[in-house]
Amino acid sequence: MSRRAASAGSQSSLREANKALVVTTVQRYGGLTQVELAAATGLSAATVSTIVRDLLAAGVVDTAVTTRSGRRAQMVTLARRVGLAVGIQIGHRHLRVVLGDFAHEVVAEQSLPLPHEHRSDTSLDRAALLVVDLLERIGSELDEVVGIGVGVPAPVDTSTGMVSVPGVFRGWEGEHLARVLDKRLGRPVHVDNDANLGALAESTLGAARGYRDAVYVRASYGTGAGIVINSRVHRGFAGTAGEIGHVQVDPQGHICRCGSRGCLDTVVGSAALLEPLRASHGPLTLRDVVARASGGDPGTAQVVADAGATIGAVVAGLGMAVNPQCVVVGGELAETGEVLLRPMRDAIRRRVLLNQIAPLEVVPAELGARAEVMGALVLALQSADVPVRVDDVGDLEPAEPAQVGDRRDRDDQDDQEDRRAAVG
Amino acid sequence: MVERTRTPLLTMRGITKRYKAVEALVDVNFEVHAHEVVALVGDNGAGKSTLAKVVAGVVVPDSGLVEIDGEPVSIPSPKAAQRLGVATVFQDLALCDNLDVTANLFLGREMRNAGVMQDGRMENIARSVLRDLSSRIPSVRTPLSHLSAGQRQSVAIARTLLGSPRIVVLDEPTAALSVAHTAEVLTHIERLREMGLGVILISHNMNDVRAVSDRIEVLRHGRNNGSFDAQRSSYEEIIGAITGAWQMAPASRASAPADREAAGR
Repeated sequence: MSRRAASAGSQSSLREANKALVVTTVQRYGGLTQVELAAATGLSAATVSTIVRDLLAAGVVDTAVTTRSGRRAQMVTLARRVGLAVGIQIGHRHLRVVLGDFAHEVVAEQSLPLPHEHRSDTSLDRAALLVVDLLERIGSELDEVVGIGVGVPAPVDTSTGMVSVPGVFRGWEGEHLARVLDKRLGRPVHVDNDANLGALAESTLGAARGYRDAVYVRASYGTGAGIVINSRVHRGFAGTAGEIGHVQVDPQGHICRCGSRGCLDTVVGSAALLEPLRASHGPLTLRDVVARASGGDPGTAQVVADAGATIGAVVAGLGMAVNPQCVVVGGELAETGEVLLRPMRDAIRRRVLLNQIAPLEVVPAELGARAEVMGALVLALQSADVPVRVDDVGDLEPAEPAQVGDRRDRDDQDDQEDRRAAVG
Repeated sequence: MVERTRTPLLTMRGITKRYKAVEALVDVNFEVHAHEVVALVGDNGAGKSTLAKVVAGVVVPDSGLVEIDGEPVSIPSPKAAQRLGVATVFQDLALCDNLDVTANLFLGREMRNAGVMQDGRMENIARSVLRDLSSRIPSVRTPLSHLSAGQRQSVAIARTLLGSPRIVVLDEPTAALSVAHTAEVLTHIERLREMGLGVILISHNMNDVRAVSDRIEVLRHGRNNGSFDAQRSSYEEIIGAITGAWQMAPASRASAPADREAAGR
């Protein structure tokens, strides 16, 4: 509201607001050419060019020559001095940590195998030590870290950073995850559900980039989904939006960890996938199943394909509720490619209403196994309190008058105000 | 408990080894399959290292049967072990600080053509072996003295791969490593398993053991004291078997705790 009041005043305050918009847009996408920046912000190319020049002089952004569609272009990124962010993904059997900068460029990465039913205290300790080790590896320190994003395979109340549903992730309940890590690392920590983070990453950097409404499905040890509505991740009241792993698919089925009967996870969770293979293939791990199914082994491929069809039927229901433009599929099982995707796509398309505008796309995650951890990185970057507020760069504002009568700017400005108001 | 239809890569039955009055191993049974990581855990002096040395051909047991691929064999020396496809990385790693990575990998088995060392070829092989392990060593020409403890462990593991072994024995590979280096070594172990090797992992660290093993064999006072499926057993059960709080029933091998409805999330 105060912004709106300010923008009503003068051309220069309008210019300030546009500058802030350019910075937040670059922050959101990591790196954009000036042409893309103009498209993403709705500002004119000339305005973007002037603002980028000012920000470059102020040391807030860096530019580099790149090519887009064979033409030379100016790539705009936030200057690296702005800092590093950490993405942590805690999985059922792995811990993955990435360090990245504002261009979403991963500068260090490490994954650590974890025991079955690992516990929050040990695993968070190890995560914290791993972060410090990786910072050391690139010659950096904790001071340079602007924030830490953490993904966990359970619904999270993002306001407290706690797992919000009991039973689904044993040994991690009742723990204030953000506070525990904050105590160990002393940097701001943001916790979210892994599927939500996969959705965030794929819609910011991956296969769903350019779609306003998308669904990300994570088929792993358990199944989850992240919902993107109007380019924002929809988490729901308690963070359980998209928990398709707990949609009932078999009313006569087994009791699930969550307490109800016949959830999707009791049918396609890792335990349920491995059990039928025990007699024919011996004891396997989920990774073995993925490797074998990808390698053309018929038995494991059958198990994965059946899972794809079952998940697809549930995703179709979600698709009816959300009407996404695309469904992006990630998680370990998605590494089998079409083995999982084809039956899932068939199941989804068979049940979702056909529209005449464009078919619903069902595609693999572009970021692959990294989707969730990249989402954690993106979350940390987007939540970061970067010193790029208008006030910080305003001093360097050149004396030239604002483009008087640039109607386009003003209209766009109004648009942005509306957008901001809508976003809250 | 863990049933497999195929013949184990390595079977050991009734292995007994005495040092005068000390019973290092008493009637120990042990199996490793291809594509399997078996952890050998136990308190100090439980016989883990002695059993590893039997597999490596360093110690010859007083009695007992060793089979590889179902064929009875004897492993009287480390050379014999190597010929049978058993490679071992001991705790001291046995690397040379003054030599580079490639030279260490090929130590004692340099490739020569008419007496001339084939440096280029060895470097290529070194690179490909390290890549197979997804190792993070920047250059194969780096002298060992410049590498971290974790990277040295990588070199030691990579060296075992040059002999195209089928069974790899790792003695305390993560002892004294930082978390990042532990992460690398554990990732290597996963890779070895994916390459279809049988891996015997000796470690004190229950977290590391449970993270990468398929099966955990507990030794106590030189005797088997339980066999646990790593995906179904808890930390406490295994510790209980190590301390002796939990005793293996004489007739039957350990049985898994009741199946859990391990529904993912």
